[in-house]
Amino acid sequence: MSDEAQVKLRFFTREEDESLKVDDTTLYAPVSLKRYGLSEIVNHLLGLEKTVPFDFLIDGELLRTSLDDYLVKKGLSSETCLNVEYTRAVLPPSYLSSF
Amino acid sequence: VVKIEESSLLPPRSIDEARKLWKKSEMKIVELASGLSEQLRLILEPTQATKLRGDYKTGKRLNMKRIIPYIASQFRKDKIWLRRTKPSKRQYQIMIAVDDSKSMSESKSVDLAFQSICLVSKALTQLESGDLSIVKFGETIREVHHFDQQFSTESGAKIFQWFDFQETKTDVKKLVAESIKIFDFARATSNNDLWQLEIIISDGVCEDHETIQRLVRRARENKIMLVFVIVDGINSNESIMDMSQVKYVSDQTGNMQLKVEKYLDTFPFEFYVVVHDISELPEMLSLILRQYFSELASV
Ligand SMILES: [Mg+2]
Repeated sequence: MSDEAQVKLRFFTREEDESLKVDDTTLYAPVSLKRYGLSEIVNHLLGLEKTVPFDFLIDGELLRTSLDDYLVKKGLSSETCLNVEYTRAVLPPSYLSSF
Repeated sequence: VVKIEESSLLPPRSIDEARKLWKKSEMKIVELASGLSEQLRLILEPTQATKLRGDYKTGKRLNMKRIIPYIASQFRKDKIWLRRTKPSKRQYQIMIAVDDSKSMSESKSVDLAFQSICLVSKALTQLESGDLSIVKFGETIREVHHFDQQFSTESGAKIFQWFDFQETKTDVKKLVAESIKIFDFARATSNNDLWQLEIIISDGVCEDHETIQRLVRRARENKIMLVFVIVDGINSNESIMDMSQVKYVSDQTGNMQLKVEKYLDTFPFEFYVVVHDISELPEMLSLILRQYFSELASV
């Protein structure tokens, strides 16, 4: 775990519900994170009683892979800071759990 | 560690551009440098009081151990006095290690990094009490100025040629491990009363704090002082002091638990300062070095 590459990221949302907005801070997180892990982090930051599943977008594009795969695909390094948008998941949970 | 002479790589910046950059940085720091140099002189100077020692015919105080032989020798063995002697001049080897990774340019820390190299190297040159090495690090480590080289304005420009802040990794583990090797090698060619100090200048963003911490401890066992200067970019909405670290820690049942904590809480360097502007560096650096030495003295 400790040997893993990490990347800086900042979460933001366009959701209007104030209870779904996280503080504007930079996080240093493993690049292996996928949708599920990111959703877990946002829920942790929000401190909600009931878990809300989220989808994630970077530059308007839905994230379907790990952050690492995204960086490689875009020719970016982990030296960058990713602005990650989250929205309430609209896909059925059975489909979500597949990535 | 690859020495420049041994590698065929060309520096990414032309010497003309590097000279201009050095001049520009120099203008920013010229007044700060003599102040820092003075403060460093006070801190780094041998602190132990001069000791009474030796067997002299005249002196400050009698050496009691010599009295009986003195009488027994019918007052011929008359070197019975102690004198105060000056402590030998302590020698320093100081390494400035500068982060050449891309995050430095993304967080707009480049100017501050250049000014810091210029300020610290100028102050140390004015101090005239040691050798200076400059290392750049990222994915790779490269010594761009060696302990056995004289430092001049031209070497400053040559050093700047190697920095373009485009390295796609920040391998602080490798930096500390390689620094220990460089210092070990340099110690072998020097005298006993040698102090080795490494000043790391970086935005402070690095992985694997636990391993780094072990290496920092090893450096300390090798009597290498490590001081980390975090240059906190001009990006006012993004400070390392507000940054959080996402971690997964296994609980009693072996499940991975998500943890979010302050990034600096696990920062592996014990002696670090955060600097936002070059004018803060002399004060901060003196402060942390003083703290370092007072802790060394209390051990
Ligand atoms: Mg970096």
